[in-house]
Amino acid sequence: MAAALLSTFLLSACTGPQSVFGAAGREASAIEDLIVVTAVGAACAWFIVTSLLIYAGRVRRHRFAEETAQRFITWGGVVIPTVLLFALLSYALWSMPATRPWFDRQQADLEIEVTGEQYWWRIRYLNTSGDVAFETANELKLPVDRRIRVSLKANDVIHSFWIPALGGKMDMIPGRTNTLWLEPTRIGSYRGPCAEFCGTSHALMTLTAIVMTMEDFETWRQGRINKSPTSADAGAAFQRNGCPACHAIDGTDAKGLVGPNLTAFKDRLRLGAAANTRDNLFRFIRDAGEFKPGAQMPAFPMIPEGELNAIVDYLAGET
Amino acid sequence: MSSVEDRDQTPISTDEEERQLRAVWANPSGWRYWTSVNNTQIGLWYAATAFLFMLFAGVLALLVRAQLAVPENDLLSADFFNQAFTLHGTVMMFLFAVPIFEAVAIFLLPPMLGARELPFPRLSAFGFWSFLLGGVFVCGSIFFDAAPNTGWFMYPPLATDKQYSGIGADIWLLGLSFIEVASIAAAVELIVGIMKCRAPGMRINMMPLFAWYLLIVAGMILFAFPPLIAGDILFEMERMFDWPFFDAGRGGDPLLWQHLFWIFGHPEVYIIFLPAIALMAMIVPTFAQRPIIGYSWIVLAAVGTGFLSFGLWVHHMFTTGLPQISLAFFSAASEAVAIPTGVQIFVFIATMLAGRVIPSVPMLFGGGGLVIFVVGGLTGVMVALVPIDWQAHDTYFIVAHLHYVLIGGMLFPVVAGIYYYYPLINARKLSDRMGKIAFWLMFSGFNIAFFPMHFAGLRGMPRRVFTYPADVGWDWFNMISTVGAFVFATGIAIVVVDVLRPKHRQPKGEANPWNAGTLEWISEPEENWGVRSIPIIKSRYPLWDQPGLRDDIAKGRFYLPGAVEGYRETLVTSVLDAEPIQCLRVGGTSYLTILSAMALGGVFVAITFHWWIITALCAAAFLAFVIGWLWTGTAIPPEKAEKDVGLGLSLPLYVSGPASVGWWAMFITLVGDGTAFGSLVFGYFFYWTIHDDFTAGLAGPGLKWPLVALGLFASAWIAMVAARSVNRGHRTRDMRVLVLCALMLTLLGGAAALAGPLLTQMDPTEHVYPAIVWVLVLWLVSHAAVGVVMQLYCLARSFFGRLTATHDIDLVNVVLYWHFLTITALTTLGVIGLFPAMR
Amino acid sequence: MRIFPRDLETLWTLFTAPVVWAVHFLACYLTVAIHCAKGGGERQFAMLQFVLGGVTLAALATIAISAFLAWRQWGFGTTDPPHDDPTEEARKLFQGFATLLLSALSFVAVLFVATPLLAIDGCFS
Repeated sequence: MAAALLSTFLLSACTGPQSVFGAAGREASAIEDLIVVTAVGAACAWFIVTSLLIYAGRVRRHRFAEETAQRFITWGGVVIPTVLLFALLSYALWSMPATRPWFDRQQADLEIEVTGEQYWWRIRYLNTSGDVAFETANELKLPVDRRIRVSLKANDVIHSFWIPALGGKMDMIPGRTNTLWLEPTRIGSYRGPCAEFCGTSHALMTLTAIVMTMEDFETWRQGRINKSPTSADAGAAFQRNGCPACHAIDGTDAKGLVGPNLTAFKDRLRLGAAANTRDNLFRFIRDAGEFKPGAQMPAFPMIPEGELNAIVDYLAGET
Repeated sequence: MSSVEDRDQTPISTDEEERQLRAVWANPSGWRYWTSVNNTQIGLWYAATAFLFMLFAGVLALLVRAQLAVPENDLLSADFFNQAFTLHGTVMMFLFAVPIFEAVAIFLLPPMLGARELPFPRLSAFGFWSFLLGGVFVCGSIFFDAAPNTGWFMYPPLATDKQYSGIGADIWLLGLSFIEVASIAAAVELIVGIMKCRAPGMRINMMPLFAWYLLIVAGMILFAFPPLIAGDILFEMERMFDWPFFDAGRGGDPLLWQHLFWIFGHPEVYIIFLPAIALMAMIVPTFAQRPIIGYSWIVLAAVGTGFLSFGLWVHHMFTTGLPQISLAFFSAASEAVAIPTGVQIFVFIATMLAGRVIPSVPMLFGGGGLVIFVVGGLTGVMVALVPIDWQAHDTYFIVAHLHYVLIGGMLFPVVAGIYYYYPLINARKLSDRMGKIAFWLMFSGFNIAFFPMHFAGLRGMPRRVFTYPADVGWDWFNMISTVGAFVFATGIAIVVVDVLRPKHRQPKGEANPWNAGTLEWISEPEENWGVRSIPIIKSRYPLWDQPGLRDDIAKGRFYLPGAVEGYRETLVTSVLDAEPIQCLRVGGTSYLTILSAMALGGVFVAITFHWWIITALCAAAFLAFVIGWLWTGTAIPPEKAEKDVGLGLSLPLYVSGPASVGWWAMFITLVGDGTAFGSLVFGYFFYWTIHDDFTAGLAGPGLKWPLVALGLFASAWIAMVAARSVNRGHRTRDMRVLVLCALMLTLLGGAAALAGPLLTQMDPTEHVYPAIVWVLVLWLVSHAAVGVVMQLYCLARSFFGRLTATHDIDLVNVVLYWHFLTITALTTLGVIGLFPAMR
Repeated sequence: MRIFPRDLETLWTLFTAPVVWAVHFLACYLTVAIHCAKGGGERQFAMLQFVLGGVTLAALATIAISAFLAWRQWGFGTTDPPHDDPTEEARKLFQGFATLLLSALSFVAVLFVATPLLAIDGCFS
């Protein structure tokens, strides 16, 4: 009864866009169950030990003979905890391969490569032959109920990829490629932070995972693969001010690889650290450091206001 | 007591003895006061300094909490925030949690063991000054906006990126290496002190539990700190000279640092926790007014935890992508370590139930600490399960967990210890009323601050974020945490006020105000001599079971009641049964220790700023001071072979070999040194493991020169062993010739070891393979260089008549060094020469 | 002269069982880590599990022997703790009892560490 109440409380106190509760993925659901079970168990154990301690501190005459006390230590302090811990360990160990299952590469329905950058996420969707189909940034669109293989990389420093609603985290370490299998089970939008301290704006390195139906996902994917430029004219300001040196927009001759790919910018929910509004975009280009201290993108105080507005117009219209 | 009659024949009066002792043990006055080396004094300085560092780090924590009180706050800049949390963690771990126990141990152990003094008071003083200088250097950096800002774990490549981390990372690496030297010095002092300086009769089954714990903890320091020192060396070589140990582009791997750091980092948690539980093991029996039940269980728990804690390090790396089965081993060990931890809590409860608990402030803090600690222990059991850690790792859930463990398991017991032991410092108790107010503020403030963090963490709040958006559902948790943090800080402020408020109007209390049973309560706060005379111990709780003991000790009715020859003396006893074997003369007041610490500090500071000339000058000064210290303070042939220590017992004044404390200190230091070396060798094989061809097709040092070097080092070893034995046969000249031969062979061996990588032109900046080979070779060569200095020292001692056939401590200890040097040479040359050839 | 003085050797018996645990732990971890890092196949992994199972049994047997010796030193449990008399006899009984307890802990810890070998059969991460 108390356990049920407690778990209800835990769950209600803990749901949210970035919560490990209210899971929307296979791995996250399995871990959620484990957390609830162990948390309830831990609460009971704490209650027992604390009661004993308070009782022992309050009795004013001695309760135990020496032998009783020895037996109390042997059973209460050793045998019972050992048995419980062993049971818990065994349960957790046997559940590990099921919680984070491992498949052969061919068994993947979709392959994605995510690279941690200071302080944003480079996302590449791969085609069936393992080559890059297209690139995007900071927003991860995923089909529901599909087995997705995510390769995790980093070039500069260590980052950690974590979307609590879908599953546990996995580090992105320069020189290594880690693999994480995700299987979203619920449509929705979920937030994920970088979970390894990666520098000044570590706090602002966030990712959004958007889980959609397979049909929606396919439509979006085909759209991205067959991308054509929206407006050659409006891109002129973008070109003139050197943006393509770092940024790419698919279907145009902007092919910079240093910064995030800006294709279909209009659809982006966030500018990494702030909402994707015209005003924010204007200020972000002026001085990215205002939004993300320590960002690699330099400030551009020299771009005339009209030019800057033209760039903003262009990006805001880029679908 | 028959011993009492024996003493009556002594001609000197008790007052005269006391006058002698007071004169010999007096601290110097004026500015020279700071050259004191008495452990009681050093312990107090050490504790006060560590406590100040704690308050400093606490203020940083309050700044962090203030910044996080509301979402999107701009109280602190991102960069300052990153410096603040890095320094908070670093200072709490390295400058408070570990040193405070070295301090408490150095302060308490002499009277607790019934010793005048621990065997190496000058080493303690050196350790303290190193700690102070290093600590000020590290803490001061934040006032120049130059503090380390990469987290206390210093993960490369972020921390090797000079543009990001600036000089802060160097300050961290070098400042803390300096402090680690101090910690290892303290470990040597504690191990030798506890094993060899107990009062006669204090067999290992009589040892106060505090001593048992400290023995284990000091042993753990010996094995846990050196891997970090090895890591620091690799790290600095990369930052300073571009040797690519952690640079994936040139064959390095950032994960090696994580392994080395956490091989240190996890035992560290238990190094902090066990001494606090040790304080509890002293406090609980006193307030239950009965001996502890389950003495052996506590010993089991201490030793068991000490071992198991070395099998947990990868649980800090559960998300790095290592194979699940590797993670599972560490998960299993992490669950197993909960067993001995739980035993200790049940021992305390059993003891309380078998006695009759007297309510008191120390028990309040102790019990409250346990209640908090159990929460941390249980969340620890949770996150030790790999899947839970995949979610909880690097979130505020972990922040909550570690603070429950460390504050419940360490800070509360320390405050309990302050309230309990304060009468030993000042002969007066602290205020009961203020203690209770402080406790309730701290206890409630702590839980208000840290319990909500569990929920914030499960709601996905990552650690080390300087800000967070309003729409994720963390704002209320953070606001509550901040309020709690300030309540908690108020509680600590009250403790500080209680300790510092003037108490001279308060009457002096009785000597043993809590009616404790253990020996430290014979200590007299006004006296420096540790114990007036060294008693014979017949019980675990001698003050309860040996009637009249206090009086007999104070009247000088036991061993060493005076200081006839004017030296500081204590007894050395055997390890298991504490039978007296030597009367040891320990070092007295000296300015050499403080100068050595300053010179060594100069070396580390100068390296940080790449002032190479100053580095060399300071290193030379350090060498000179250390040699001066050894020459004037150690292995001095006494004026007579034996001395009457009282009660009809006569003991030698000079022993060498395993019976002597110096041999043990050398042995223990070399074990630590060997562990650091082993960590470097681990690095070599680590690179072999992760690469298909770890040489990357580059030329190695070849087979010839390493084998030549090996032969030369082996011959040098034989010559040294021979020198030791001919010296015992009074063939002084042959000894000198042999030592000289060994010296030449060592020089040649060092040159041959260098020849391998030099002649094949291995470039350490090109790839990690040449870099790791060079590090191993340089390690060997620098140890050989130290060996040469030792040989020269032995020759000089021989020429000045301080090293003779019967007084051969120096030579025996140097030969012991040679055993280790030979193992180092064998391993190094085998690994770099034979291993690539064998593949 | 020997490297270890006699005192250390006798104190050493206290540490035998935990040292066996440490060796077993490292054997399991290092073998598997090297095998997986060097891209070992599945069949060899089964072999590895078998060998490490043998190592585990050997470790358990060693600890059992150490426990027996400790039990003997403790007089086969004929006396009860606390063993706090000021005699060499009490000191030996204490040592025996503490060693016995440590052996029991090490035995359990070895079992804990060996469990993953049964639960997880592969190098996947």
